[in-house]
Amino acid sequence: MAKNLINNPKRAACLICETPNPPDAVLCTECSAPMALVYEARAQEHEPQMVSILGDSNVGKTVYLGFLLDMLSQRANDFEAVPRGAYSVDLQQTVVSHMAYRMFPPKTPMELDEWKWTYYQVCKRGGGAKWIDLLMPDMAGEAIAAEVASPSTFRIIQNLLHKSSGLLLLVDAALAANGSSQPDFFALKMMSYIDTLFVCKRGAKIGMPIAVVLTKADYCPECFDDPARFAEANLNRLWNLCETRFSRVGFFAASVVGSLAYATAGGDDVVTPVPLHTALRGVLEPFEWLVDQV
Amino acid sequence: MPMNLFTRKKEASGSSPAVMKKRPFVPAERPKLSNDPLVRAMQARRFGAILKGRAKWVDHPDFKKTYDAAQDLLDAYFAMTPEGYVSIVMSIFDEPGAPERDVETEPFLLARYAVTNADYQYFVDDDGYDNLELWPEDIWPHLIDFKDITEEPGPRLWEKGRHHRDLADHPVVGVCYYEAAAYAKWAGYRLPTEAEWQMAATWRIRSSAHVNRRYPWGDALDSKFCNIWAAGLGGAMPVNACPGGAAPNGVLQLIGNTWEWTDSDFEAVDRDGRPVMGDTLLKVIRGGAFDTYFPWQAVSNFRSGMGAVARRHNVGFRCAIDIPES
Repeated sequence: MAKNLINNPKRAACLICETPNPPDAVLCTECSAPMALVYEARAQEHEPQMVSILGDSNVGKTVYLGFLLDMLSQRANDFEAVPRGAYSVDLQQTVVSHMAYRMFPPKTPMELDEWKWTYYQVCKRGGGAKWIDLLMPDMAGEAIAAEVASPSTFRIIQNLLHKSSGLLLLVDAALAANGSSQPDFFALKMMSYIDTLFVCKRGAKIGMPIAVVLTKADYCPECFDDPARFAEANLNRLWNLCETRFSRVGFFAASVVGSLAYATAGGDDVVTPVPLHTALRGVLEPFEWLVDQV
Repeated sequence: MPMNLFTRKKEASGSSPAVMKKRPFVPAERPKLSNDPLVRAMQARRFGAILKGRAKWVDHPDFKKTYDAAQDLLDAYFAMTPEGYVSIVMSIFDEPGAPERDVETEPFLLARYAVTNADYQYFVDDDGYDNLELWPEDIWPHLIDFKDITEEPGPRLWEKGRHHRDLADHPVVGVCYYEAAAYAKWAGYRLPTEAEWQMAATWRIRSSAHVNRRYPWGDALDSKFCNIWAAGLGGAMPVNACPGGAAPNGVLQLIGNTWEWTDSDFEAVDRDGRPVMGDTLLKVIRGGAFDTYFPWQAVSNFRSGMGAVARRHNVGFRCAIDIPES
């Protein structure tokens, strides 16, 4: 199946939706995934494993993924990572260049052809190091929300999840700690959507590894002390569903911004958040766990 | 040991990162302190308090001897920073043409090391959190929040009012600006202003050479001289580590390891001139920390702000004192 997908020179099938595309297509005509992914996979002679990063709008998916890739490419924690294709570097470059100048990167647009895709070969050195091909797209939070609310609105998300070897579900810990139920409800919907997507026998749990990453955890330091305990206390609906329906869930805390301020003028309706400095904490750990799992 | 340039590890040999590794908590033993308040002040390294409290202790039989010893130890623990002038960038974007504020600084003494857990333990053991004289009145209602993880008064990451035994020589972290200022006041010191801090790091003394160092040790980054993310340690080091990164007067770790509270309010504007503010009052922190990702955010003139009541795992402080009258 995989060989057929990537090795047919006349009908390059999209890696995500498997739609046949003309050989000169740049983006898949059906789901707008870059066809460069197929050509790269063809060069590697196998399909890459996919990891999906999910979460509500503004939870920090783009920033998290950008820094994760940047850390990996700087060989953090014995990891080695090689981008397969220049397009894979775009996301991390955008994130790093904005954050370095104390700005958040622009929001990921809803339009599929605007999403940034990353294809990396990752390896953890030592102990029989093995390279894994990882495909991690940066999806728009609004698109994820729309798909969860009305399945098949964004079919590409459904296809991606079906093909994913593991998931990173990002949840806004700062909002949850402030008493908002929004992060809990969104995560609950997301997990419920995944639950229905991977239909299991009655009583059987879904075995796909899912790392629940509590983002913006610098706002609630207790989150770092014990992420699972924090989730049980502040995201109880999500916690219960995970316990009942999923067998491999890990809880992690992460933060990227060391200190947050706001630029605003008197009477000005526009308030611009300003990341005063960048201090990464807990970014790599969920990924490390996920790679061990997959 | 030379740093491996090609692999970033969580921990390098010879260091003991405080944060990365979860270690079982072993409380530090309670130091044996004298009942004599003057001797106790010496034991707690409150040299500033002794020198300033001359009138209080002048009748003590050992006052002269203790006073002289305190003066000698102040010289050992603090370093002279000469008069100078600094240009503080007032925009969050440090680019040509960004507004700057020029400040002239007087000579002062700056602690060679950040305040350690062991130092701070004396303050906690001396009921510093209950001594209202050390705290601004408007902060009194917040004192109940300044607890460790077992709800005892103390830095956020301590347990039962005690620091971890293995971290005695690490910088105390998990303290807010007010705790840092209260400690400094108790010990007879003060926090440096950001201009003083920048002067100590840039070493911009009044001379025709117009020196303005990017780092206390010079102008080039060297990850052996400071503990930032690029050094790959993942946690704070003892306050006397990285001796190569000392400023010309011997002050260590101005760059990296932990951010340092200063006594200045954070004021800045963005590119459009709009003021940049926090949810709460922001105080200036300087120097970067072990987790500072961008090296240019850990240079002598980089300034960041932090909520005055935030108790972060990567923010500590060092003390300053005006040059005592001879």
